[in-house]
Amino acid sequence: METLTLPGTLDSLAPIREFVDRAALAAGLERKAAYRLRLAVDEIATNVISYGYGEAGMRGELRLTTKMDTHTLTITLEDTGAAYDPQEALVPADLHTPLEQRSVGGLGIFLSVSGVDEFRYQREEGRNRNLFVMHRTPEAQTEGKA
Amino acid sequence: MAFEVISRMESGDTAILTLIGELDAAAAPDLRREIELLASGDTVTRLVLVLEELSYMASAGLRALVFAKQKLGARVDLYLVGTQAPVVETIELTGFHRSVVMLETLELPGQATG
Repeated sequence: METLTLPGTLDSLAPIREFVDRAALAAGLERKAAYRLRLAVDEIATNVISYGYGEAGMRGELRLTTKMDTHTLTITLEDTGAAYDPQEALVPADLHTPLEQRSVGGLGIFLSVSGVDEFRYQREEGRNRNLFVMHRTPEAQTEGKA
Repeated sequence: MAFEVISRMESGDTAILTLIGELDAAAAPDLRREIELLASGDTVTRLVLVLEELSYMASAGLRALVFAKQKLGARVDLYLVGTQAPVVETIELTGFHRSVVMLETLELPGQATG
């Protein structure tokens, strides 16, 4: 299990993506799956930084952990910002509306939750915990380190 | 990788923005600033985004496209050129491909340019 703790600011997004990329590589995820996972974590981290901390007038950190077993890679993103379950914001987005008429909220969450094989949210002891689970392919399971 | 925008005008009414690197929420304000500059200047009827060297785009990038339509006017045609496969997937998943013209190379209708 690897962990990374960073300040809850937009500057942390690039190192977060690098951390996720390394985990995806170690788990042998295909490029497409690795990109989706990177996007998923980046979008939720962005939300936490902008709303969970930013708009709520709070400061805090983002804590990432990776866990790999034979079948799955799980990235966990924790923060101490305002309670927020991304799944509750997952309304059917207006994906057919012309750009100039669009309300653009919810796009990131849509991309995040729909891009991973499994998404879970937990609220525990004042912390938000977002879990991103990707299934490892049979080839990756033989070649990977788990 | 950091993010970079290179802006130029062509044939008076075509703005060409070349985006390089990774477009996330931290980088999106740079793009919005360029779009605001275009909106404050000459009339733009076509906005071309060259994305050949854009390896990553988060939803903040999609919101910048909406911003461009709103700032430059709904009648401005938006072209995305040479978009990399993962970015194409994001654009298609969110339905944005219906509001933009996706091109392989920078050859605009009625114009031979390279």
